[in-house]
Amino acid sequence: MTILFTVLAAALAIAIPALATAWAQSRIGPAIAASMAEKPELSTTAILMIAIPETMVILGFVVAVLILFSKGA
Amino acid sequence: MIIEMSKVRVLGPRERLPDVLRALQDLGTLHLASPAAAQSLAPLELSPTQVRDRRHLVRALEDVERALAELAIPPGAGPVPHGDLSVADLARWARLGGRVRRAAERLTMQGSALAEERALIDKYQHFYSAFRSLLESEARWPNATAYHVLLKRGDVESIHRLRASLTAVIGDEFELYARPLPTGETALLVVVSSKAAGRVEHLLAEARVQEIPVPAAYGGASLSDAIPRMLKRLGELPGEQERIRREQVALARTHGAELKRARAALHDRLQELQALPLSAVTPRAFVLEGWLPAAALGNLQTTLAGTFGNEVVVSELSQEEWASEDAPVVLSNPRVFRPFETLIRLLPLPRYGSIDPTPFVAVFFPAFFGLMVGDVGYGALLAVLGLVLHARSRPGTVLRNVSEIMGPCALFSIIAGFLYGEVFGDLGARLFGLKPLAFNRQEALIPFLLLAVALGAVHVLLGLGLAVASNLRRHPRRALGSGVSALMILLIILALLAAVHVLPGGFFTPAVIGVLVAFPVLIVLEGMVAPIELLSMLGNILSYARIMALGIASVMLAVVANRMVGAIGSVTVGIVFALLFHLVNFAIALFSPTIHALRLHYVEFFGKFYSPGGVRYQPFGHWTRSTA
Repeated sequence: MTILFTVLAAALAIAIPALATAWAQSRIGPAIAASMAEKPELSTTAILMIAIPETMVILGFVVAVLILFSKGA
Repeated sequence: MIIEMSKVRVLGPRERLPDVLRALQDLGTLHLASPAAAQSLAPLELSPTQVRDRRHLVRALEDVERALAELAIPPGAGPVPHGDLSVADLARWARLGGRVRRAAERLTMQGSALAEERALIDKYQHFYSAFRSLLESEARWPNATAYHVLLKRGDVESIHRLRASLTAVIGDEFELYARPLPTGETALLVVVSSKAAGRVEHLLAEARVQEIPVPAAYGGASLSDAIPRMLKRLGELPGEQERIRREQVALARTHGAELKRARAALHDRLQELQALPLSAVTPRAFVLEGWLPAAALGNLQTTLAGTFGNEVVVSELSQEEWASEDAPVVLSNPRVFRPFETLIRLLPLPRYGSIDPTPFVAVFFPAFFGLMVGDVGYGALLAVLGLVLHARSRPGTVLRNVSEIMGPCALFSIIAGFLYGEVFGDLGARLFGLKPLAFNRQEALIPFLLLAVALGAVHVLLGLGLAVASNLRRHPRRALGSGVSALMILLIILALLAAVHVLPGGFFTPAVIGVLVAFPVLIVLEGMVAPIELLSMLGNILSYARIMALGIASVMLAVVANRMVGAIGSVTVGIVFALLFHLVNFAIALFSPTIHALRLHYVEFFGKFYSPGGVRYQPFGHWTRSTA
């Protein structure tokens, strides 16, 4: 049972930030694409804006790994 | 590094200003700026004739550049000699530019129209082939009207919807035929009784389907009448397109060289006119000011002294007389670092007097990229791709710089690949018994995570160190704040390592005391936002965990690709799938680590010290390829 909860916790630790990242990128993507259509020089900003929310899922992944390893799952 | 600039003032008799400007344009090193305001000096204003000339030159230059672009004439290398410019020459070039632009645009439009016509006939041809037997009898349907409709690929739903709507509106007074086309679209032929035609047209418009009526240009009331004319026209089109291409080539061959000379000449004359308002004058004298690389100052002084003797005086302004923020910026780095300037130029240039991060990016960017990709096979593929791009690109272009950045990235990927023992994932281990020199990242997740975060700590602390160095002279308080932040981060790391027994426990108490002492100092130096910034810096360090996350994702995808060989019944099919999967993983490995390595630099590293807003160095000179 403990293993089940550990695995579930690890899955949620990555799934929730992944959904949050997807939601954030779904908003940023169209906005930055529209901005770039008018100002192509914003391409660097576009890269940063798209990459910034990915921090959430990456940290979620790290937390998931730590949960799994700390419990020896 | 950002090279040292000197600001100079050029003084001379007013009547010699045009000659001095020409000499400066020949030298091509002085970035002109308006002289500082002084009571006796007035900015030189262009006369109405000069304003009109400038307007004409701008228009003529636009014409010439448009003509060169339409005819796809490459810029060529180096300055274009055009000799002394007479008004007659400029007028001739302006006329030539306008004439060739119009001719080139007309040819381009004709070419586009022919291409569109060809595509349209292709579409009708497919439609006609699909319903040939039915359409041949179309003219003999006395009381019927035919509608030709094209449905998008996969849009089968619309057929059922249209049939249901037609039945609802006109009952069974219609026939609907559907055929798939080679393009993936579906052709529909709807034949209805003439008296129901009005209602059907309304229905088709409401259904928003693409109706293709018989084009009037080919005459005839039915498609079967128009098709023979269309096919005849289709036979003529390649010849006409070839004629247009030959005319474009002939136009480029006849006028290309002259247009290039015209562009250079018009540009140079325009630059001269635009330089005039940047000078200030008294009734008898002129003053010009500008920046140039300190190393080029001697040459400027010698050249002007040689040409004008004592008439013109060049003096260097002391640094107290100008604000460093206004000085233009020239990046100059050793050959091996230079391609990485491309990554810096994606952002606004650093201010003069701040730090050029190119050397640091040249070391850390390939290192982060390599640690994420970490595969000998992918590294070798990247090296091959870099060599191909290098061979196919011209020196000085962005593509050449990208190819040169690929080299170190490939090298670091190969080195990391040996450290992790990976050649196309676990293929090296399975085929050659390759062992990791450092650790196997499929299993050693925690050591890999610690390595990534440790690299983050080093990178962020280096950024804070650079902030101290950058601000030390001009903003000592800010420099001290950065230094205390760096010290606190170091102490926090020491305390954490001591707490988890990586370091001896004796380190813990002094490190915590150090943090507690440094904290109020930081608040005094940087205000109440300091704790938030400190926390965000710790977040920045954790952000480097992405090196590990992307690395794990990359190796797992490669391992999955390798397992396809055994997982799918046929070995051949398995190998094909595995190769495709590796190809996808390689494409991801090119894109994702680049974006994230860039982000780690732009956000986490540059955020500590980078001071954007530098002015681009644009010396007053003749047209060169880099001007384009």
